[in-house]
Amino acid sequence: MSESKIVAAVEIGTTKVAVLIGEIVGDSELNIIGHSICSSKGVKKGVITDLNAVSDCVHATIMTAEKKSRRRINEVYLSLTGNHIEGKFNIGMANVSSSDKVVQQIDMDKAKEDATGIHLPEDRVYIHYIRNSFSLDGHLVEQPISRKGERVQVGYWSVNGDKAIVEDYLRIINGIGIHLSDMIISSIASGAVLLEDADKEAGALVVDIGGGTTDWVLYRNGFIVRTGVVPVGGDHITNDLSSGLRIHRKSAEAIKIKNGRAYCRSEDRNEGVWLFGDRGIGDCEFPMAAITKVIEARVTEIFQIIKESLEEAKLFSAAEIVTGVILTGGTSRLEGIDQVAGKVFGLEARRAEIQLGIDPDLRKPEYSTALGLLHYALTGQDEKYPSVKPAGFFRRVMSILNFD
Amino acid sequence: MTTDTQNLLDVCTEATDLKIKIIGVGGAGTNAVDELKIDVPGDVGLAAVNTDAKALLNSSIAEKLIIGHTVTRGLGAGGQVDVGRKAVESDREAIEKLIAEMDLIILVVGLGGGTGSAAAPFIAEMAAKTESLVLVFATLPFNFEGARQSIAEESLGELRKRVHGLISLPNDMLLQEGEEGLSALNAFSVANRWIGRGVNSLCTMLLKTGLINQDFNSLRSVFQNRGGKTIFSTGSGSGSDYVKDALGELFLCPLFHLGDQPAIFDRILVNVIGGADLGIAKVNEIMSQVAKRFDSREDIVFGVVIDENRNESLEICILAKAGMEQSPVSKSDKKVETTEPKRIDEGLGLESEIAQDDKVPHPVHKSKLSKKAAAAANQGEFDFTSLEAQRGYFLKTVRNLYKNEDLDVPTYFRRGIKIKIKPS
Repeated sequence: MSESKIVAAVEIGTTKVAVLIGEIVGDSELNIIGHSICSSKGVKKGVITDLNAVSDCVHATIMTAEKKSRRRINEVYLSLTGNHIEGKFNIGMANVSSSDKVVQQIDMDKAKEDATGIHLPEDRVYIHYIRNSFSLDGHLVEQPISRKGERVQVGYWSVNGDKAIVEDYLRIINGIGIHLSDMIISSIASGAVLLEDADKEAGALVVDIGGGTTDWVLYRNGFIVRTGVVPVGGDHITNDLSSGLRIHRKSAEAIKIKNGRAYCRSEDRNEGVWLFGDRGIGDCEFPMAAITKVIEARVTEIFQIIKESLEEAKLFSAAEIVTGVILTGGTSRLEGIDQVAGKVFGLEARRAEIQLGIDPDLRKPEYSTALGLLHYALTGQDEKYPSVKPAGFFRRVMSILNFD
Repeated sequence: MTTDTQNLLDVCTEATDLKIKIIGVGGAGTNAVDELKIDVPGDVGLAAVNTDAKALLNSSIAEKLIIGHTVTRGLGAGGQVDVGRKAVESDREAIEKLIAEMDLIILVVGLGGGTGSAAAPFIAEMAAKTESLVLVFATLPFNFEGARQSIAEESLGELRKRVHGLISLPNDMLLQEGEEGLSALNAFSVANRWIGRGVNSLCTMLLKTGLINQDFNSLRSVFQNRGGKTIFSTGSGSGSDYVKDALGELFLCPLFHLGDQPAIFDRILVNVIGGADLGIAKVNEIMSQVAKRFDSREDIVFGVVIDENRNESLEICILAKAGMEQSPVSKSDKKVETTEPKRIDEGLGLESEIAQDDKVPHPVHKSKLSKKAAAAANQGEFDFTSLEAQRGYFLKTVRNLYKNEDLDVPTYFRRGIKIKIKPS
């Protein structure tokens, strides 16, 4: 009899709360057996502004999904985003201890400890330790154990977040009495489901542009070398349009969806766009250029910020990002956004296509994070997976909150 | 609408008694007041306060006050706030005299320089000790002006606490108004034009008897408390479609677009100046459009003045006051009741309504205007700057700083990209 476990992927986004329910059979099969989505309340720029509203919304969405799937959820995987998430790259080092100079597990542990044992300020908490490549006496090696050498080194991209914010998310899930199994930052979740191993090897930049944040992850040589959050998303485009065209937020949102394009063409000057189209009082005509100029400025800036972070980390090199830029998230639907990304990065850029054999409804870019969470639930425990959870992370946070 | 002669008489008597003084502070403020054309009868005093004697001499304003002669020898503050402060402090008595016994004081200032940035808050503080209602029109420097920007922000914060209404006119925003390719200088004339229209509309409303009359009490009722945020917008129209044009301009006025939160306005004052051809049907249309724009959730105080010289011409001016912000991001939110729609006021009365808002501890007394007591200035600081205003939807969230820029502020705005919203 194969074991089956019911897991829920929960994404608390700025625009929507998405819940996918998956049934994991054995250790390699995943069936999506339910999903539910609801517009998010109380979240701005990926940060909770109203805990009660978010809590209610998340609970309702989870209940609906549970009802649809007719199964009880055993555990929850939750995605995290927001400007509070930061990361640091550390290289740990250990001298090979045995007299025959053959690398043993103990040396590896020491190197890891060296890289990840760095203390954070009181108000920060580690979310991920993401291992990068090993090197033995300065040479990159896949696996140093049992090889001869003097010194092992290992790099870790350690992601940490604001403790109070992370605790808020914990509270929300624990409030419904379901076990929170893991938290994964959105970019890693999206990247996990959108990229094949070969893409990761070739180097890829996944950019998930949501409502309130843009989460990105850079893969090089198969490793996650950097992640980041730009606290800007589709909501900003709407706000910019509302300000630039001086129209109500709702109208701005409608114009963005109906007429929005990520870049401005010279013909846009002569093309008119009507606000409502009924030619009544309050209806007015805007030049298309007004709309596209506002959006172009914003979208370009988002990509530039990402590019700058990569350049500052000396990680931006076209030769090592061969797969190019993969765009996902709700805002990736914006017409021409791939072209703008291509232009800013000088790389090939395309919208993500989710190839999995799933309901076409779930193949929308809005779901990539939640799908990634399920993917992670399926493979996350895998030893080879380059993301390692800090030991006792949840126990530590739970004890702060007096949860068992 | 008034047929009651006694009522009309009362209004008229009060109007003539009203003492209004418009004071230009500093170089830019003086220039703006210089350009004002007040075309209403009554006692509107124009005054200018500056450290620069030469600049003051060139002004046509009747009442001039050179401050800090002992400090600057009449040579101006040279952009230094310290000098401006010393100057204004050295002439405390003269300023006291300047602002004494006024009903309404309107300060006009360009913030970011030495004199205006220091003197305006100082004058505002002294004015706060009197019983007058104090409104300020303040232009703010361009984003790229760096140091001037921070001087202006600091000064703006001080002003906000001390005055009843503060209308800020960020130059960045004004630049959006001019024709494409025009220089920054253009922004100043746009600012002066708007200040002129705002001041004129206020004076007309207060000093002329209206079809739907609003008097000083109405203005008081909008600006009961010090602090908070003021929204100002103006639009005019002429020709066959003048109502639609004026409404269009009113709602497109960039000053009106300080974000997207009309739900937090405590009270909105709408003043319409039109010709004799402005019938009640048109007034109704304007009212309903304005109410629609504000979702009818707030108290709208509506005034209409008929100017016989106008024909097929209309000017609408909105002044709205938003209450003080609650502490910005609180974890346990107590906003349960806010979903309940607010009481809708007809706002058509001939006299001002008394605020029933629970946020206001001291309602305005109907007969005699509210005293200082009503304006306990301990309401905490409202963190509001020119850029802050542009954050709109994100106003109440933590600032989104990246390399000294607030990413919540529209990119086009920060980059000075001009958005032309009228079709060519």
